[in-house]
Amino acid sequence: MSQRSMVALKETYRSMSPSQFFYEYKEIAGFSNPARSLYQTVRELVENALDATDVYGIKPDISIVIERIPGTNQYRITVEDNGIGINPDYVPNAFGQVLFSSKYKLRQSRGRFGLGVKMAVLYGQITTGKPVEVYTSPIGSKRVYYFKIKIDIEKNKPIILEKASWSKRGNWHGTRVTVTIVGDWSRARSRVHEYIRRTAIVAPYARITMIDPDGNIVYYPRIVDKVPRGPREVKPHPHGVDIELLKQLIKSSKARTLKEFLIEAFQSVGRKTAENFLKEAQLDPNIDPHTLTDEQLEYLARKLREYKRFRAPSADALSPLGPEIIEAGLKSILKPEFVVAVTRKPKAYEGHPFIVEVGIAYGGEIPALDEPLLLRYANKIPLLYDEKSDVAWKVVNPQNFDWKQYLVSFPAPIAVLTHICSTKVPYKGIGKESVADVPEIEHELRMALREAARKLRAYLLEKKREEEAKRRVITFLKYTPEVVKSLTTILKGDGVNEENIREMLIKVMRKRIKVDNELFEKLVKNLKVSIEE
Amino acid sequence: MTAPYIDKVDIEARKRALKVFREKFKVILDQIMRGENPTLVLPKRTLSNTIYDETRKLLLLGPEKLRRSFFDLHEAKKFMQTLLMARIIYEALERDEYPTIRDLYYRGKHTIVFYDERGKPHEENTWDEQRESDAVIRDIEVFTGLLREEMLILSKEKGKVVGNMRIRSGNDIIDLSKMGHGAYAIEPTPDLIEFIDVDAEFVLVVEKDAVFQQLHRIGFWRKYKAILITSAGQPDRATRRFVRRLNEELKLPVYILTDADPYGWYIYSVFKIGSITLSYESERLATPQARFLGVSMTDIFGYGNKKAYLTEAERKNFIIKAKEADIKRAYELMNYKWFQTPKWKTEINIFLKKKSKLEIEALAGKGLKFLAFKYIPEKIETGDWIE
Repeated sequence: MSQRSMVALKETYRSMSPSQFFYEYKEIAGFSNPARSLYQTVRELVENALDATDVYGIKPDISIVIERIPGTNQYRITVEDNGIGINPDYVPNAFGQVLFSSKYKLRQSRGRFGLGVKMAVLYGQITTGKPVEVYTSPIGSKRVYYFKIKIDIEKNKPIILEKASWSKRGNWHGTRVTVTIVGDWSRARSRVHEYIRRTAIVAPYARITMIDPDGNIVYYPRIVDKVPRGPREVKPHPHGVDIELLKQLIKSSKARTLKEFLIEAFQSVGRKTAENFLKEAQLDPNIDPHTLTDEQLEYLARKLREYKRFRAPSADALSPLGPEIIEAGLKSILKPEFVVAVTRKPKAYEGHPFIVEVGIAYGGEIPALDEPLLLRYANKIPLLYDEKSDVAWKVVNPQNFDWKQYLVSFPAPIAVLTHICSTKVPYKGIGKESVADVPEIEHELRMALREAARKLRAYLLEKKREEEAKRRVITFLKYTPEVVKSLTTILKGDGVNEENIREMLIKVMRKRIKVDNELFEKLVKNLKVSIEE
Repeated sequence: MTAPYIDKVDIEARKRALKVFREKFKVILDQIMRGENPTLVLPKRTLSNTIYDETRKLLLLGPEKLRRSFFDLHEAKKFMQTLLMARIIYEALERDEYPTIRDLYYRGKHTIVFYDERGKPHEENTWDEQRESDAVIRDIEVFTGLLREEMLILSKEKGKVVGNMRIRSGNDIIDLSKMGHGAYAIEPTPDLIEFIDVDAEFVLVVEKDAVFQQLHRIGFWRKYKAILITSAGQPDRATRRFVRRLNEELKLPVYILTDADPYGWYIYSVFKIGSITLSYESERLATPQARFLGVSMTDIFGYGNKKAYLTEAERKNFIIKAKEADIKRAYELMNYKWFQTPKWKTEINIFLKKKSKLEIEALAGKGLKFLAFKYIPEKIETGDWIE
């Protein structure tokens, strides 16, 4: 069995909170109306599909089919990936129980706790009564497994309606999920298409195909072969703890002493660091963490957050896109004349590591707008709603950012891509549509934007210089024949003819236009002037 | 068979002009040969570079120079236009032609088609309006130091002259006292006129063509030995040059008779000092000795000891109320140095006080004989003019 499939089989889950709760409050998860629910369902399934592929270094092949069941307002949404697949033992819980990751380890992923897809299943079930259908074949497995599942809402338990498996002929691995929900395609159409387009921008290493209810086929080919490095799982950083997290960590820990517990449960804490911390916090290293009272836990959490000498959180858990992928994605989909991307060094806020990336695309087929076209991403997910309340908008907004300094004056054909990746993206709401203005993130966004904008400025400056030279060359060449003819007419007999005056004049022009010979040749090439008398 | 017509005076003028062109434009060629940016250096024709020379009493071009370089994005087209115009004029001189400024506009107007790197054509005219080509002609005049008349460029004849005088124009001798009821139209190239003999004591220039005809028919110029001229409104260059030559070469005093209003005063000013737009030709066209004979405000209203030529009743009939534009113009004239003499100040002040103007025709209305045999000779005799 390959290493990848080991990972797939080891993913473990445990129940978190009753699905009843989400049934009552489905709006907060984005299922507020048929249009939004259709968009949200596509999104959850696509994000799971990508998480099952690129996170493990697999170049994603994803197909999405949205069909309307004739004569109804019900839609079947099927998403298939070539990912690592799901261990058949976990399939019922993965789709039929509102679950929580069993390990308190962190890493960047698109969906969190696999909550979203269960919401889609739940929503489908209550609006159409139809179960979710899953085909999956884990990497290395010789079989394909099939499930038809419903959720027992009161008990928060999966109900397996059908189950089958057969041996597989080819090498296929991955998962195919079909959910049926009540939706509103006419109102969801533009959002869904935009979502897929934006997803394709940051996943140029993926091949994405979508067939929509109108019969349109959208195809985004794979244009780069490199998949970004996947995130590694890391333990929480002590700066990021609260009482609740502490309790859970202690509960699942077998450590006998507080010192042992700290070393085992957190990153950036070794023997020496643990001793120093406990000494400064005046805590007994040998106390059994399971015996701590609420007050003591509160004190411990506070001291952990305040202690200054922990190493900064590890960025291993993060998976930035990298400048090449951002540039390739922007180039292929927006078709700009210039593109640049910047990936900043890892930073942390409140114990959570994060990396900010910014891409700028300029000119070409981008329309000139009164403000920058903003493409926001968090952990590789496009964010489409609530743009103006997002910290990224705050940073790129021409009222806050001096675009003129970078030779951009609006209306301008410019698109800005922002990507924030973190083990904990500070969303403003559970709908995951806008990022809160955390000062550390805002600062990094601004630094990244400046860095990218400086490169844009250099490009525009060079372009301006070239255009200026071109304009001069054109102007001079345009009028040269008249000037040559006039001088020849007036001064004939002085040993001059049109040819030699022209040559001399071009020589002077070349000297006056301060560009290198190569550019000059390029500018002069193919230009022609004629006079109609 | 008659021999081909040869105009010797013309030929000489052409030769001179061609030579100047070659010398001036050789400088441009030399610049190019030295690898320099070809540059036309010419006096600036702007109001700020128009200077009133107090001693010579002339409007002249100041010392400011304009450098028009070909390899200067903003000057390239003008440079091209200047050279294009120079070529057309040069060719006309060579071919014994007499173009008008309108002809030159049409000859030089054509389309430059520029094909960009994609082969897409872009069209541009060498010039679009005559305003542009006229400006370039003026530039060539200042660049070469040749007036358009010296380049044999014609304009419409406007001025007329009669008097006891014989001139040579082309190959013909013309007796200006034998023009019948008509008059000799002053040719656009008055420098090519030769004065043969003259029997006259002064020159009278009348703004209005109709008054000129009346004075001609009543025999004014015979009786008073005058050369009678009309500019028919604003004087053209030829009339001004002709008047200047009469004054300068024949030492005849020049009197100017216009309407009594700021426009009439400005016509006088153009004869005497030069015009602002064409200040570069003042040296050759202006007649600094010209005298303003009338009609003056003091003729109408009297002043101090001077008795008015018009009675109260006549004033009531003949005077026209000044318009807003007249008053505005009067205030402008007050700013010009040459209108700041005591006599002119008196004129302008009376005008502004009375807000009245008067046309010369009104004096003829009082009686042509009054105008011809009393008003004009009396004013000349008594020295009642403004310098």
